[in-house]
Amino acid sequence: MNFDLGRVTLVALFAIVPIVGIALGMRAPALRSKIPVLVAFFAGLIPIVSLYIPKDFMSGDSGMSPRLDQWLIIVAAFALLLGITNVLSVNNRKINRREPGWPYAVVLLTGLLVTGGLGIYGAISKQGIGLLPDGSSTPFNWITVYVFQSLQSTIFALLAFFMASAAVRAFRARNTEATILLIAGGIVMAGRVPLLEFLAAPFPPLQPSAAAASQGLGKATEWIMNIPNGAAQSGIIIGAALGGASMAIRVILGIERGYLGLGKGD
Amino acid sequence: MPGLLHRFLALDRRWIFLLVLLSVAGPIIFPVGLPVTVTESTQKSFDYIEALKPGDIVWLSFDYGPSSAPENDPMAEAFLRQCLLKKVRVVVTALYPLGGLGLANQCLARITAEYPDAKYGVDYINLGYKDGATAVMRRLGDDISAAFPTDVSGRPLSEFPIMRGLKSIRDVKLVFTAATGLIGEYWITQVHSQIGTPVIIGPTAVSAPKYYAFINSGQLVGMLGGMKGAAEYELLLSRGHPELASLYRSTKGFTATKGMDGQTVLHGFILLFIVLGNIAFFQERAKKARA
Amino acid sequence: MHFVGFGTWLAALLTLFAFSFLYKDNPFFRFAESLFAGVSLGYYVGITLNQTLLPNLVDPMVQDFGHNWDLVVPGLLGLMLYVRAVPKIGWVSRYALAIFVAYYIGVDFTRRIQGEVLPQIARTMLPLSSLQATTLVSLIFIVGVYSVLVYFFFSKEQNAVTKPLARLGIWFLMISFGAAFGFTVMGRVALLIGRLNFLILNWIYPTIGLQ
Repeated sequence: MNFDLGRVTLVALFAIVPIVGIALGMRAPALRSKIPVLVAFFAGLIPIVSLYIPKDFMSGDSGMSPRLDQWLIIVAAFALLLGITNVLSVNNRKINRREPGWPYAVVLLTGLLVTGGLGIYGAISKQGIGLLPDGSSTPFNWITVYVFQSLQSTIFALLAFFMASAAVRAFRARNTEATILLIAGGIVMAGRVPLLEFLAAPFPPLQPSAAAASQGLGKATEWIMNIPNGAAQSGIIIGAALGGASMAIRVILGIERGYLGLGKGD
Repeated sequence: MPGLLHRFLALDRRWIFLLVLLSVAGPIIFPVGLPVTVTESTQKSFDYIEALKPGDIVWLSFDYGPSSAPENDPMAEAFLRQCLLKKVRVVVTALYPLGGLGLANQCLARITAEYPDAKYGVDYINLGYKDGATAVMRRLGDDISAAFPTDVSGRPLSEFPIMRGLKSIRDVKLVFTAATGLIGEYWITQVHSQIGTPVIIGPTAVSAPKYYAFINSGQLVGMLGGMKGAAEYELLLSRGHPELASLYRSTKGFTATKGMDGQTVLHGFILLFIVLGNIAFFQERAKKARA
Repeated sequence: MHFVGFGTWLAALLTLFAFSFLYKDNPFFRFAESLFAGVSLGYYVGITLNQTLLPNLVDPMVQDFGHNWDLVVPGLLGLMLYVRAVPKIGWVSRYALAIFVAYYIGVDFTRRIQGEVLPQIARTMLPLSSLQATTLVSLIFIVGVYSVLVYFFFSKEQNAVTKPLARLGIWFLMISFGAAFGFTVMGRVALLIGRLNFLILNWIYPTIGLQ
């Protein structure tokens, strides 16, 4: 058995401490909110500190930090499926109580159970979820290609219609800021596509001028994207990143505990 | 005239939907073949890949799903074609949970069929999907096999010649991420910043404006912005490799260049209606001011 | 005319069901929407099980438990997340949640500072020792970045100096949002192009024998 210091420390921090915390929490409810915060402190600190401590037990090949990265790949997989428990219970209740729209809940659960079941079958049978060795499709892959991909593409493609409708009805130059927005949007929309060439297509004598104008519009678009847009995006990135970093410090130090379902007084 | 304008703009939105449908369907049924102009960020991306040598290894990450496939698929396909043509070896992964894996599998199957000499496990490999995003990227910095112990079908990486000598992502020349959402950004801010591997990103048009800040700061080699970026890349490929020019001309499959026709027509209509809408708005405002 | 497979017909019909919402909400759309939600969740089950849990958790423990005994912990932590569905012992899941959230926050902290803040600020460090045409462009860029940052400073009331700077910041933001709108239109239209391409070239044309 491999008992590297890094591995053992991780197990102590994230298995032993929680077990002790759960045991204590059963007797003393006040500790149910305190010990998780302590565990969070170490979970948040290790990835940061490992960048600055080049010691084997921390950031070496079998150190704490790389091993924790591997652990969290696994935990992330479980976390991705968390929503399913909620969906199952909500839709189950809907069907049992025959609430309005309950047949659609049946459709949803059928889709979930069939596709999920095929995924589980693929794992158990070692068939996988892609193509079989002979090039044919597993049932899971078939559903992915013909149901999942087509539905996802189409649901998002609907946005094009609503976007066009909103632009036509709501985009008005009501004030200075809206005018700036409209002008910038107009230049970019015209500059990113060969619109002038398209308009000049039935008029051959105009085509060289249209091409030259289109080039100019394209250059103007690139300048807008690089300089004013680049500057604004840079400012947004800096602001958001500083906000995110300060939130990270608050979470790691236990000041911010809302993510655990705890309020300020808890 | 003003009354007509107002009545037109007050039409049921379903007429606008119909117009959108016809604007986009028209160029599919009657292709126009409009020209594409190349921008600097696409040119830089193409030139960087062109400068790679046979045997170099690059990393292609499918960080998008079917919700943006018409934009990202052509980018990934063009990148794969260029790499396989130049005998650059490709490691393929998918980090986007909602559909990245399926698209990676399909894209690889489509493109590698055009290059029968390219061998799986030697010239390219598909490592599949992995949960965890930044956790995966951190692990890739030290040991790829710790994050991806097997390829997409469960075979150990040690079985594949391409993975010999490839311990971490530091050993690849480039990461190309075709991305929607944050995962593409993580390659830049996590992998490039902490490990130093050059990154080219192919974002959707919705997220492309943000990446100009990363281009400006030198964190990106280049960017292919949306379907237009993909069309530019296809043009550069056709210019640089005549065999690909004939492929792109003759293929019945979807290409970004073909898609640009529909973009142009609809942009024209939207701009026209925005202008008409504002004319009506100012007329209304002038009428109120006079009253 | 040649036979278009059942899968293509199914995909085309589901596409039309979804598009029917554009006319008005109807049972076909609701069916497609519910099916999409269910199949998406089932898809998650398939990919996480086959691509992460099996190769990264189960197989390493089965093949070499001595080296991978510690993977029991993330496995249990992952399962612990689901305990929150049980009201009496839901508090136990706080441990798993604390580790999961805090870890990613910790990773995010260094990622943001090293990958976002520092490089973006470095871009605004402009050498003024030799003035060129590009210097003016860079100055516009820098003024833009800092005026946007001044605008975002909400914790103090703005004064005679910061107010005009913030106004300038808003204008830069408006240019950026206008540009973003232009790009967003392109992005959304691209999705529609893809879908119509499938319907016309992959379904209708082969069905009526045009391809």
